[in-house]
Amino acid sequence: MSWKLAVVPERCSGCKICELVCSIQRFGVNNPKKSAIRVMVVYPHPIIRMPIVCRQCKVAKCMENCPTGAIIQKDGIYDIDAEKCISCQQCVISCPFGAIFLHDEMETPFKCNLCNGTPHCVDACPKNALLFLPEHVLGQAQRMASVLKYGHMKEVEYVEKGERKVRRYADIEKGNAED
Amino acid sequence: MPTSKRETRKIKGGYFWKILWVDLDQGEAKTLEFDDAFALKYIGGRGFGAKLVWDQLQKGAIDPLGPENILVISPGPLGGLYLPASGKTSFISISPETGIYGDSNMGGSFGAELRQAGLDAVAITGKARTLSYLWIDNGNVKIIPSERLKGKGSLETEGMIKEDLKDEHIKVATIGVAGENQVRFACVTSDWGRNSGRTGIGAVMGSKNLKAVALRGSKDLPVFDLPRLRRASEAAFQTLRASKNFPFWQEQGLMSVIDYVNEAGVMPTFNFKEGVFEHAKKVNGYEMLSKYKIGDTSCFACPMACGNVCLVKEGRYRGTVVEGPEYETACMLGSNVGVQNFAAILKGNQLCDELGIDTITAGNLIGVLMEAQETGLLSEKDLDGLSYKWGSEEVILETIQRIAHRKGIGNVLAEGSLGVIKQWPQLRPIISQVKGLEQSAYDARIAISMALGYATSDIGAHHARAWTIAKELEMGMDWSLEKKANLVIYHQTLRPLFDMLGVCRLPWIELGFDENQYAEFYSAVTGVETTLTELLERSMLLYDLTRAISIKMGVARKDDYPPDRVFNLPMTEGPHAGKVLKREEYEEILDIYYAKRGWTKEGLVDEKKLTAFNDPLMGT
Repeated sequence: MSWKLAVVPERCSGCKICELVCSIQRFGVNNPKKSAIRVMVVYPHPIIRMPIVCRQCKVAKCMENCPTGAIIQKDGIYDIDAEKCISCQQCVISCPFGAIFLHDEMETPFKCNLCNGTPHCVDACPKNALLFLPEHVLGQAQRMASVLKYGHMKEVEYVEKGERKVRRYADIEKGNAED
Repeated sequence: MPTSKRETRKIKGGYFWKILWVDLDQGEAKTLEFDDAFALKYIGGRGFGAKLVWDQLQKGAIDPLGPENILVISPGPLGGLYLPASGKTSFISISPETGIYGDSNMGGSFGAELRQAGLDAVAITGKARTLSYLWIDNGNVKIIPSERLKGKGSLETEGMIKEDLKDEHIKVATIGVAGENQVRFACVTSDWGRNSGRTGIGAVMGSKNLKAVALRGSKDLPVFDLPRLRRASEAAFQTLRASKNFPFWQEQGLMSVIDYVNEAGVMPTFNFKEGVFEHAKKVNGYEMLSKYKIGDTSCFACPMACGNVCLVKEGRYRGTVVEGPEYETACMLGSNVGVQNFAAILKGNQLCDELGIDTITAGNLIGVLMEAQETGLLSEKDLDGLSYKWGSEEVILETIQRIAHRKGIGNVLAEGSLGVIKQWPQLRPIISQVKGLEQSAYDARIAISMALGYATSDIGAHHARAWTIAKELEMGMDWSLEKKANLVIYHQTLRPLFDMLGVCRLPWIELGFDENQYAEFYSAVTGVETTLTELLERSMLLYDLTRAISIKMGVARKDDYPPDRVFNLPMTEGPHAGKVLKREEYEEILDIYYAKRGWTKEGLVDEKKLTAFNDPLMGT
């Protein structure tokens, strides 16, 4: 089963803790400019903060465009083989998300390899804007949001062990095509 | 640590050993080096800044708006590192607002980027021939003339420079129109709304024809023991995230303080006349959450995300967007001027950010005008024919514009409270200021330690040096004066230490994060084993230095008194109705304070102590 690193931009506050952890974990240096995840802060048109990180695409444009076969894939995780890479930067410009990065002290481009299975940025994110999920779970947040938003929620208050609680449910009577 | 002898321990990380010195007169830049002893003693941040200002003063008198004034931008050895809230950077200079030592600091990522550019600090003197900005690309410097930035807003300028240099990732600190016009409380803005707000640093930049400083940095930061730092930091991040108030803090940030101060009866209301605002609920954090907030923002490496991004979605201010408000702004452009419309506060905040004005001073001085109209201290003619009624949104917004453009009454206000008092001496008793810096948004009438904190803060009446009001209210009024003086000094030592290290004080003051951990961070980063006590000694010493700078400008005991209101104007409502501070008691606590600092009864620092500050950057 393959796992995905998912981003929830609405939660991101732009603190760059993910970048710091990544550079330390990956290259052993405190340098956000050497991280394989990058927080973009756009303001005011539109107002958004969003971490950019490799999505481990199944049809990988970086791999397709690499002239030397330096993009390697193992268990659904893509990485760059520094031995084969000629640093032509074709992968950097062919990635639709801009999730492959360069640094002038680095011989080759670099990208997220999910820390070989346990991405450290996920736990470090104080806003839970990064999620590491089994593939089939992706989209769950949107699915749940749709369900919760769905029609005319009603609620009933009740008491359990002295604590006041609320039970919510969909109101069948109002569930018609009025709106 | 002995302060007279030069320190011999070796530092193994934390510094690039480079201060960039830019002379705008000559259009040149050079690099100053410094050694271990210098770094151990002054640490960084405002420490480096105060020392460089002191050295500049030895060359001759400084007019704050003259080319001889020096502006130091300095984060600190912990700036930009993987530890909580390491994004603070200080701006240090002789303040055009007060004429004495001045500094303020901003969050965001500007400081982290400066460090990654391979620098420990930047010092700027002189004046560029035409409006220019400084472009520091990994330590390489260019002074770029740019007349097209003239008259542009702070945020607009940030966008234009990013476009000019074709890099969205660079960091830019800018001034707005107010800075260009040398409004004495102009601020410096970065990261779309993080401000170095106080003491008029923006005016210093304006006087130097310096519209902005742009940075690109991509270097590894020097850390002696990265695994040790990581262990300490990860534990720190976990502690903060486990804190009970953490989720609440992310949600509201400093806006959560409004309900607290209003209930405590210390919310500045109607030009600090009252401490309870009838409409506090209309300008509090819940009002913000329910109608305006669209996102969280964090400074560099901070999990607390106290920044709020707000958008007005309907009504006359529809479309207004701003990073803010923060507590101070919400009070000073809200309760202090009688505004109960949250959207109007947002509009005022946005205007101040774009024009580059300190919201605290703006709200303070506008409140003064409102009271002056109410009591007849100023005539209609004095007031440009504007009607300064409490809560008049149009007049407030118009005044902010006039200040920035120095039009009519705005030109008087632009001179700050000292200028206003010169023009209209009758206003002196109703202006809440110390040393020319207007009081920030905590009342001091009922807490003598807070009054002492404002009065002895080295930059003027600002809460950043000592914020003791909560502790004093919690401890009750019967606490001895000595204990209160001790508390003020502890705050004035610890809080500036954060500004020397390049980190934010909020994890400590708001979430109770253990301050001893900063000694562990410092040790891991520099390879010099230290304790909090030792770091505090250096911060304590620095308070003597900033005091010494101001003494050269004539500061003495006479300047160490809280605003008059504190003694002679009781509040009429709330839990503290009828209370004022007693002058005799204040004299007594001031004596105790001086004695504890080792200053004379006149508030002067021993000349012999001062020679210790004449040490060179590099030992021989």
